[in-house]
Amino acid sequence: MRHQPIASDLKVTARSPFHVFYEGDAKSVSAVNPVGQFDILSGHADFFSVLSPGEVTIETSGNPITFGISNGIIAVRDNEVMLFVNM
Amino acid sequence: MRRASTIEKDAGQINTVEGLTGVFESIASTQVAKVKNKVELSKEFFQLLWGRYSSIRIDPGSRITNRDLDKEQSKAVFIIISAEAGLSGDIDQRMIETMLQAYNKATTDIIVFGRHGASQLLQRGIKFSHYFQVPETDSYIDVSPVISIIKTYSKIVVYYEEYVSLGVQDIKTIDLISRIRDLSQEADEDVITAEDTIFEPSLDEIADEMEETMMSLALSQTILESSLAQAASRFNAMAVAKKRASELLSGYQLEYHRAKRSENDRRLHEVLISLKGKRRRLGAHV
Repeated sequence: MRHQPIASDLKVTARSPFHVFYEGDAKSVSAVNPVGQFDILSGHADFFSVLSPGEVTIETSGNPITFGISNGIIAVRDNEVMLFVNM
Repeated sequence: MRRASTIEKDAGQINTVEGLTGVFESIASTQVAKVKNKVELSKEFFQLLWGRYSSIRIDPGSRITNRDLDKEQSKAVFIIISAEAGLSGDIDQRMIETMLQAYNKATTDIIVFGRHGASQLLQRGIKFSHYFQVPETDSYIDVSPVISIIKTYSKIVVYYEEYVSLGVQDIKTIDLISRIRDLSQEADEDVITAEDTIFEPSLDEIADEMEETMMSLALSQTILESSLAQAASRFNAMAVAKKRASELLSGYQLEYHRAKRSENDRRLHEVLISLKGKRRRLGAHV
């Protein structure tokens, strides 16, 4: 398993088919999957999961961004987080 | 020659038709712009997700796209995505005709989206197994009821309309399962495996979920594409109708002026005759 160096912010893209919720740097991403609540921080191991209905929170350098989802997929790779939701 | 008042009345009706077609043309034009934007956003989303989907390669023999079906279930299903209402030219008719070239009643079921396509099929005496209303494109299209029906078929062919340009719309066909399978095999994304990535709840469950999601998205894309093509086709049909109404109106105006002049000439002629008669009668007395 590869481990990322703890360095820069996460690069996050969160979108639904017709809407971009967020695109940019972030400190962390929190969501819920079938296993439970989880947080992704910088340097997180590569991670792939389906998302359960609930809220996603993206902590940015400004105000946190929170939105509700009905379903989704999260893919984390090399500090890049992609959230595909409400499909 | 018709009376000027009759021509004026007819011209008034054509003028209303011209106004209405103009309104429909503007509505269709707005619809094209709105749906086109959604198609582009949705395509971009699909491609991004596709990149992630194609990077998780697992035993293809166990996937939905390679599933073994009983012989009884191994029928094909044709999904026709037509317009919900008319006024979109002959595009739906062309699509039904294309579908009929490959249709075999014994081995194929039909699922139709849109009232226009359903009525076209019924007019031809062709029965369909399911009918769905074309979803509104303002919110994302939920095709899960359709996906649960089509999962039992061995072959899923979608007939839809593709927007090429405002003036050109094509009839397209895709085999949904083959398309997903082919794209998955062709993909050149970096492969991610359970050795270097954490999968939750499990790789198999994620692959199942994603395959169904990709199938839903591919079907939603065709519905969006069709909506765009239908709006463009409606725009063209309305533009042609408006042009025709304008031509008719010009013709009526010309005919009206001729009739009016002719009526004036006739009246003048009658006045002159009556004046002549009066002068003759006066001359006789003088």
